[in-house]
Amino acid sequence: MKSKSKSTLIRSIALHGLLAPLAIIWLFPIWMMFVFSTMPDYGIFSPGIVLTPSTGFMDNFRNLQADTNFVGAMTISIVVAVVYTCLSVLLTSMAGWALARYQFAGRSGVIGIILGTITLPYSVVIIPQFIMVARDFGLANTWVALIVPPLFNSLGVLFMRQAFSMMPGELFDAARVEGVKEWQIFLRIALPLARPTMAALAIILFLASWNNYLWPLLINSRPGMMTAPVALGTLIGLTRVSWGGIMAGAVMLTAPILIIFVLLQRHFIAGIAAGAIK
Amino acid sequence: MRLRNRSAYAFLAPYLLVFAAFWVWPIIDSFLISFQNTRVNPWTFNLSLNWGRLFGDPAFYNALENTLIILIVQVPVMITLATVMAVLLNSPLLKARGIFRFAFFAPVVVGEVAYAAVFRLMFNVDFGIINKLLGGVGIAPVSWFADSHAAMVLIVIAVTWRWAGYNAIIILSGLQSIPEDVYEAATLDRVSRFKQFIHITLPLLKPIILFCVVLSVIGTMQLFTEPYLITNRGGPGGGTETLGLLLYRQAFQSTNFGYASAIAYTMAVLAVAISLLNLWVGREPK
Amino acid sequence: MAELSLTNIVKRYGSLEIIHGANLEVKDGEFVVFVGPSGCGKSTLLRMIAGLEDISGGELKIGGRVVNDVEPADRGIAMVFQSYALYPHLTVEQNLNFGLRMNGNPKADTDRRVKQAAEILQITELMQRRPKQLSGGQRQRVAIGRAIVREPQIFLFDEPLSNLDAELRVQMRVEISRLHKKLGTTMIYVTHDQTEAMTLADKIVVLRGGNIEQVGAPLDLYDDPANQFVAGFVGSPKMNFLQAEVADSQQGRIAVVLKGQRDIRLALPITSAKVEIGQPVTLGVRPEHFLEAGRGDVDMTVDVDVAEHLGNTSYIYANVEGGEQIVIEREESRNTGNRDKLTVALSAAKTFLFDSAGNRLR
Repeated sequence: MKSKSKSTLIRSIALHGLLAPLAIIWLFPIWMMFVFSTMPDYGIFSPGIVLTPSTGFMDNFRNLQADTNFVGAMTISIVVAVVYTCLSVLLTSMAGWALARYQFAGRSGVIGIILGTITLPYSVVIIPQFIMVARDFGLANTWVALIVPPLFNSLGVLFMRQAFSMMPGELFDAARVEGVKEWQIFLRIALPLARPTMAALAIILFLASWNNYLWPLLINSRPGMMTAPVALGTLIGLTRVSWGGIMAGAVMLTAPILIIFVLLQRHFIAGIAAGAIK
Repeated sequence: MRLRNRSAYAFLAPYLLVFAAFWVWPIIDSFLISFQNTRVNPWTFNLSLNWGRLFGDPAFYNALENTLIILIVQVPVMITLATVMAVLLNSPLLKARGIFRFAFFAPVVVGEVAYAAVFRLMFNVDFGIINKLLGGVGIAPVSWFADSHAAMVLIVIAVTWRWAGYNAIIILSGLQSIPEDVYEAATLDRVSRFKQFIHITLPLLKPIILFCVVLSVIGTMQLFTEPYLITNRGGPGGGTETLGLLLYRQAFQSTNFGYASAIAYTMAVLAVAISLLNLWVGREPK
Repeated sequence: MAELSLTNIVKRYGSLEIIHGANLEVKDGEFVVFVGPSGCGKSTLLRMIAGLEDISGGELKIGGRVVNDVEPADRGIAMVFQSYALYPHLTVEQNLNFGLRMNGNPKADTDRRVKQAAEILQITELMQRRPKQLSGGQRQRVAIGRAIVREPQIFLFDEPLSNLDAELRVQMRVEISRLHKKLGTTMIYVTHDQTEAMTLADKIVVLRGGNIEQVGAPLDLYDDPANQFVAGFVGSPKMNFLQAEVADSQQGRIAVVLKGQRDIRLALPITSAKVEIGQPVTLGVRPEHFLEAGRGDVDMTVDVDVAEHLGNTSYIYANVEGGEQIVIEREESRNTGNRDKLTVALSAAKTFLFDSAGNRLR
């Protein structure tokens, strides 16, 4: 007995001894981001090693705002992410619902195509999307351009389809017998029951929209309509720019998500894992 | 019942509309554009203009080489690391699992631009924290941005840092779905823990790991943000230009959509081919 | 009026036909039970009546109106499901008024109906609870309440008691019976439990493999089964079947001998069937129809295998000399132990005869 708990102790020490440094290395860049955002530029570019935060965040923030209207960009990002998430959850729920609970001609075909798109990389469609939105529709630098094209996320549909298939069919039969119409069944019974899945999906979608870089970079490059990542990105290549300000921007970009993540860690992870298992 | 099916179409329609417009059509269109001469107005069909150029273009081969190098180095390293992390995270001896999970998963949450900015600062040749720490243990400062090999290493480090945790979480959930009694039976049979891992855990994890590999391959094939923002648009001098970056350059800086579409399709074909290869290699023996 | 009529109802899935031409008439106010083993098609038939499954062939009429293509909600029916199918996120009260609310029924009328249903089923105190806070029996009652609220012409029950434990099942059975007496509505009830069928039904419909084997009042099925399947299905413990052979056939009487015990000879009053000497037949005797030795038409000695004593009743598992096992039910046989020999008597009046295809010889 004694030797067992001793070997367990050794194993525990080894385990934590391995993981703790790894975790520290992993958190290091995020920590440094935070530290840099509070240091003046001369501090960031000084010879010494500084690992603790300072007090210069507000100065850096002012520099940032001077270099680019970051607050404006953040607002755009927030609005886009919220609208996108709501619309996307709605659309994918409806599609997932149709695919899960109705037998109709072409059903397996549709499912097959949607599954197929997951394996194709995004780069295949980005050029035509750009041509379509910017040239043919003339919608560059608009809200619509930021929100609508990414709405087709396939993972969401498969996710919701999975959730709806697992619900007992008798529930919906009972409602039909009671004369409840199909859209009411969807809205009043299926959706409320799918809330946890929808929450996980919403988190993933919000994150994707918030952090999306390439598409907004292409389509919304006018300074007044840039999203926050794009705005920040424009500063990174410049020579005369406040890096402290950039870091402040990075922190502002990251902080809300990080907070949500800490609060909702379980949902996040459940969502990602569930998507993978499928 | 027929009435019911009509509502199914109604539910499906909005999504399908967006899907058809922004995915199905672009896939076809991209293919078509790759056969067109987009330097003239209006565009004309010229079957071999872009594809011919592709096969002879040194810039393309450079980008292809860079992308493949990153792929071959980064994916195995990251998957191995992710597996190790997952195994460690799965240990019942672990305290404060939540904190560790947070630490490894946070990079994904941080977002490409923010973390690219931090890495650029951290790996700054003269004042970056990395070179300072290396100096502290007696290693000369590495020229991360001016030396192409170092720049590639930087990219690999960055991408690994970003995605290892994500894959670790996926693999962890795979680990957790293996029932305990499989291990108990093996322990009763006096199979060592290490052997248990090799002969029980790894085979059972194979589908999940394959999934992660395929995802990583697809992601790495398209790598854009890191070389764009960290190593300054594929620097030094194209030393880290990936296919994704080349695509961007050709399409949106040179506005040569035709050529860019050819590149895009090549990327897609390669990604699918490598994924299929992975799946085939990892298939269940009959 | 709530009569129901099925004419040549057929159900096909692709090329597979699973209901083969069912015909049935149900009168207004009747309690009809569909009973049969798993896979016999009873639930499918019920769902076709409800409108949840398409009818592949034939005609379904409710109240004289052809309803083949009418939506479930417009057929004047209400259904109680095996798993109750209560809306988990709604309270009991909301569960009851959901359908009416969604259809824009005037609030006053909805409230009245809900109140009435709750009183009939004695669930008024549960109105604000959620389904997961209710016991099985309570959930069952809410499910029934949801059906009552629709004020339907026909109630459909799909194995409603299967998910309850034995004691609760008996209790709910009585309540459903009481409900029928109180409301007087036509009820169609599906179950695989023949006890439920026997106790609840005005009329039983026995199904097997997509065919209706027999329709009749419970005791008619008990006393006069149309074939071996119905004879074996109705009644518990199951009827004993013994292999026999026709020994003699005269006007109005057929004599048979047991194959395994040729000295046992019984003459049965069978008038209509034609048989040949030597033709193999099956004898059917219910466990409760064995008489004491000497009190019947022929005596039979059997080897007792196992005797189960339940107090007032005993079940004797015995072997006939030919090796077949039978069950004998008797009152107060406590002195019969295992491995005894027992002599019982068969009565021609209570013995059934079936041919090798299972048809009843009358």
